[in-house]
Amino acid sequence: MVGVIQEQHPDRARLFMQWKQMDWPILVDSLNLLGVAVVPITLAMDEYGVIRAVNPERESIERSFLNQTYPKPQEQGVTEIKPPDLKKLRAGTAAGSASSWRTYADALVVWGAESQLDEAIAAYEKAIGLDSSHGPAYFRLGVAFRKRYESGARKADDFQRAVEYWTKALEMDPNQYIWRRRIQQYGPRLDKPYSFYDWVATARQEIQARGEKPALLLVEPAGAEFASPLKAFATDQPARLRPDAQGRVLRDKEGFIRAETALVPAAVAPGESTRVHVAFRPDLRRKAHWNNEVEDLVLWVDPPPGWEVSSRYLRVANPKTVVSRETRSIEFELKCPEKTPPGSVRMPTYALYYVCEDVNGTCLYRRQDLVLEVQVKSAR
Amino acid sequence: MRLFFLFALAVMANSLGDAVAKPSSTGFKVGESFPNLVLPSLADGKPVSLARFRGQKIIVHVFASW
Repeated sequence: MVGVIQEQHPDRARLFMQWKQMDWPILVDSLNLLGVAVVPITLAMDEYGVIRAVNPERESIERSFLNQTYPKPQEQGVTEIKPPDLKKLRAGTAAGSASSWRTYADALVVWGAESQLDEAIAAYEKAIGLDSSHGPAYFRLGVAFRKRYESGARKADDFQRAVEYWTKALEMDPNQYIWRRRIQQYGPRLDKPYSFYDWVATARQEIQARGEKPALLLVEPAGAEFASPLKAFATDQPARLRPDAQGRVLRDKEGFIRAETALVPAAVAPGESTRVHVAFRPDLRRKAHWNNEVEDLVLWVDPPPGWEVSSRYLRVANPKTVVSRETRSIEFELKCPEKTPPGSVRMPTYALYYVCEDVNGTCLYRRQDLVLEVQVKSAR
Repeated sequence: MRLFFLFALAVMANSLGDAVAKPSSTGFKVGESFPNLVLPSLADGKPVSLARFRGQKIIVHVFASW
C-alpha cells in the first residue's frame, strides 16, 4: 500500500498513521497537484504503473487484481523521475508563459524553503495575471499564503488572503471538494461537514496508552479545525456586563499587542454565517509580553441589530507562567440577518489585556479597539 | 502481503475522508498510467514518485487525515 495525502499539514497525517499503526509509504501532496476533487480514492496499480481498478471492492482485489497477470506495455515509460530543479524552472519563466510561472511556483512551495514563499506567491500572482482562468493556481496561491502565515515570514493579512484565494478557486470549480474542505476547515460550524481534527485528542490518548510518544504536530489544530458541525446557529448569551463600558481604559497606542483578523469566508451572504479569527501577537521588536498574574485577555463583540454572535464575551485563559510571549487566538461566529443589503458592515469589537514592556518591565492594562469590517454579498 | 492489503483497506474504509459527495469521475481511468509526480515522502521529506514501486503491484490510497 502507498498513500498520497491531500492536506497542508503532513505532520497530522503522520500522527494519524501512528494512531492506526500503519507504516506504509506516504507521499505528501499539499498543493493538490494530483488534481483529485475528492478523497478517499483507492487505485490498484500494476507492476508497470498502469491503473487497473478505481475504488475496487475488497473481494475483487483478491479475486482479480492480485492474481491477474498484466501485459507489459510497449513503452515502459520513465522508471524514476527527478524532483524539479528550481534554478532551471526559474530560468524557464523567461519564456513568460503562465504555465512556466505556475510550475515554478509549485516547485517553490513543495521543495523550497520558508524564505522562498515570498517568491512563490509572486510567481503565482504573475501566472494569474497572465491567465486568470486556471482554478488550481488560485487554490495553490491560497496554500502558499497560509503556509507563509504559519511561518516566521508571516504578513498580517496572509490568512485572509489565503481564504480569499481559496474562495475564488471554489467559485471557479464548485465540485472541487479538496478546495471546499480547505475553507470549511477554518469556517463556520453551520458549514462544516464534520469536525476534521477532533480525532487528534483520541489519537494522542490511545498512543500514550500503548506506551508510545505521539508524533509532534508543528501547528496545533485549533478552534474551527476541530469544532463540531452545527445545524442551527448557536449563541451563548449569559447576562454579562460589557467590560470597560465607559471606555476609560487607555488604548494600546504603542502597539504592544498586534491584532490580526481574518473572516472565513471573507464575504457573507444574508442568512449565512462567517467565522472570525483574531490573533493577538506581542510585538517582539518592542519586547512586549503578556502579564499573566491578573486577568485573562478578554474580547467583547458588539454586533449591530439583527446580527447574531456565537459569544459576545470571549477569553483566553492565562497560562501558568508569570509572563509569556505566545500568540493568543480567539474565534467566534457571526450570522448575517436576512435581507441585509450588500456592502460593508462595521462590527465594534475590543480587547482588554495586561501587557508588559520588556525593557523596564512596566506592566500596563490596555484596551485595543479592533476594526472589524464584514463584507455582505448579494443573497444567492 | 495479501492479508495485509485487505486489513489496511478495511481500516481505511472505516476512516475519515468524504463519504458525502463523490463526483461522477475520480479523474482516474483504468488502463492509464498514474501521473508522474515527484512528491516529498512523509517519512523524511525526500523526493519520491510512484515509479519507485515499479515491479510490484500496489494499492494507492489517496486520502486525508480529516
